[in-house]
Amino acid sequence: MKKSMSTPLDLSRWRKVPLLLTAGGGLVALLGLLVNREQFAFSWLLAFMFFLSLSAGALFLVMAHHLFDAGWSVPLRRFLEHLANLFPWLAVLFVPIALLAPTLYQWMSLDPHLDHALHAKQPLFTRPMFYAVAAICFGVWIFLSNRLRHWSLEQDRSGAALPTHRMRFYSCVGIFLFAITLTLAAIMWMKALQHQWFSTMYGVYYFAGSVWMTLGTAYLITLVLDRQGVLTDTLHDHQYYFLGSLLFAFTVFYAYIHFSQYFIIWNGNMPEETFWYVLREKGTWWWVGMVIIFGHFFLPFLALLRIDVKSMFGFMAPLCGWTWLMHYLDLSFNIMPVKHPDGFVLHWIDLGCWAFMAGLLTMIFLREYGKHPPYPLKDPRLVEAMGFAHPIPTQISGGELDECDDTPAVHPEVQGGRQ
Amino acid sequence: MNNAPKPYGIIAEFRTAADILHAAEKVRDAGYQKWDVFTPFPVHGMDRAMGLKNSKVGWFAFLGGVAGYTTGMLMIWFMNALDYPLVVGGKPMFSPFYAFPPSYELTILFGAFGSLFGMLFLNRLPRLYHPLLKNRRFALVTHDRFFLVIECADPKYSEAQARKLLEEAGSRHIEMVED
Repeated sequence: MKKSMSTPLDLSRWRKVPLLLTAGGGLVALLGLLVNREQFAFSWLLAFMFFLSLSAGALFLVMAHHLFDAGWSVPLRRFLEHLANLFPWLAVLFVPIALLAPTLYQWMSLDPHLDHALHAKQPLFTRPMFYAVAAICFGVWIFLSNRLRHWSLEQDRSGAALPTHRMRFYSCVGIFLFAITLTLAAIMWMKALQHQWFSTMYGVYYFAGSVWMTLGTAYLITLVLDRQGVLTDTLHDHQYYFLGSLLFAFTVFYAYIHFSQYFIIWNGNMPEETFWYVLREKGTWWWVGMVIIFGHFFLPFLALLRIDVKSMFGFMAPLCGWTWLMHYLDLSFNIMPVKHPDGFVLHWIDLGCWAFMAGLLTMIFLREYGKHPPYPLKDPRLVEAMGFAHPIPTQISGGELDECDDTPAVHPEVQGGRQ
Repeated sequence: MNNAPKPYGIIAEFRTAADILHAAEKVRDAGYQKWDVFTPFPVHGMDRAMGLKNSKVGWFAFLGGVAGYTTGMLMIWFMNALDYPLVVGGKPMFSPFYAFPPSYELTILFGAFGSLFGMLFLNRLPRLYHPLLKNRRFALVTHDRFFLVIECADPKYSEAQARKLLEEAGSRHIEMVED
């Protein structure tokens, strides 16, 4: 257990912010829809893909937790489960994209017999398949996130081993379904804006950026919940360090994926591939690309190299906020050049759509978080997260005696239970 | 001529990992600098108990990595764009993109060299002789005993005080080691 940081912050002033964002953003977005339908469609898609990243990243972290049989991330799992359970609401937010799809996706109004690139992508790039893919993706995500949270809450009540086994089962099956559906979603909703293009990296590329930004968010949420004393008793020094290390790992992973995509296209030098990047090197998009190289990779990479900075809150909090800015810019780099080929534009409808979704999803998240216990109360590995060793091998730990980074005699009361 | 061997330090034997951990905390708090702990296996929390700071090896690895990346870029630029300009696939004579994979490999290679040789340098290795190797009981360190050694070269060292401290820390067997 770690000591509490200091007095809780007074967050009552912020209580109305999500509602104001929803109302204000909703009005702006509605006005945008009436004034400029095409711009609204692109702005909405950008905001939607941004918040989809958060839920997808959270679902991945929950499943990774179970797949690796992790101990340290138990206290963080509950808010990640709630973030992942925003999928039903994201499905609702997808409705405008489904309705405006013909405005967004040029391929929908093309004849596949006259367009070779489109013909080669039959039958995936047909209208029925577009809607079927959306239904399958949301079906899988809602099912997985719902089951994982259901059994997690069930364990809060029963404390039995069964929920852990169930969650492992859903994670094992889910990770494959997740990989396929997220790739499909990135292809159908973002890459299909320029349907002629192809890149096998694209699904992983969206995934890498999504988890990166989710880790930054998870760090900030943990920090706030720790400061408020909600999670303090369940945390140990290593949660922040591990979150920082994962953020560091995904900084490198994202750069590796994006560089590989660019490098292969640059080296191959074929017009049917290069046109995607040629468009993104025109006008101020060139500078956006530079900001992504240096701000999305070099800055966090060099900043996170040192082992001790991962637990320095004054340093990490701004960096985690930075991940939001960079991920937004990265998605804008993917989506917006189709609408604004001359350069980067931050449209007022962009801000409206983003504010609306941010406010709405925050309200739902806070409501859900408040309704349930703040962390998995009876998870058998909670004791490890707190920095104690298992006094006896458990059914869940597979009979191993797990090590912790503390010395045995520091917690004599726990070691006294050794048999 | 004085052939009497010089003392190297005082060695104390402990029976359990917990004992030596607390002994290390005591020696750390007493303010000794030139001392070390020898255990048959890694003891968790020992770094903190000994008051060890983060290793400096990381700096050697970082500088090695930077040197490797720079070497790779400069080498490829020199060979392909300056010394023997060669057009390949209509590409520019030099671009950081195609030079990246080899430069990256050199980053890793030199980084690994930096950490390996930096570690050897900081540990003053290789070293073929160590005074402790003459101590017969010390051989048990590879089996089930834990040892703590305070060197005579420590500025705070005095045999009586060190012996008293180690006895208080719970050591049952304390002896002097000769150089």
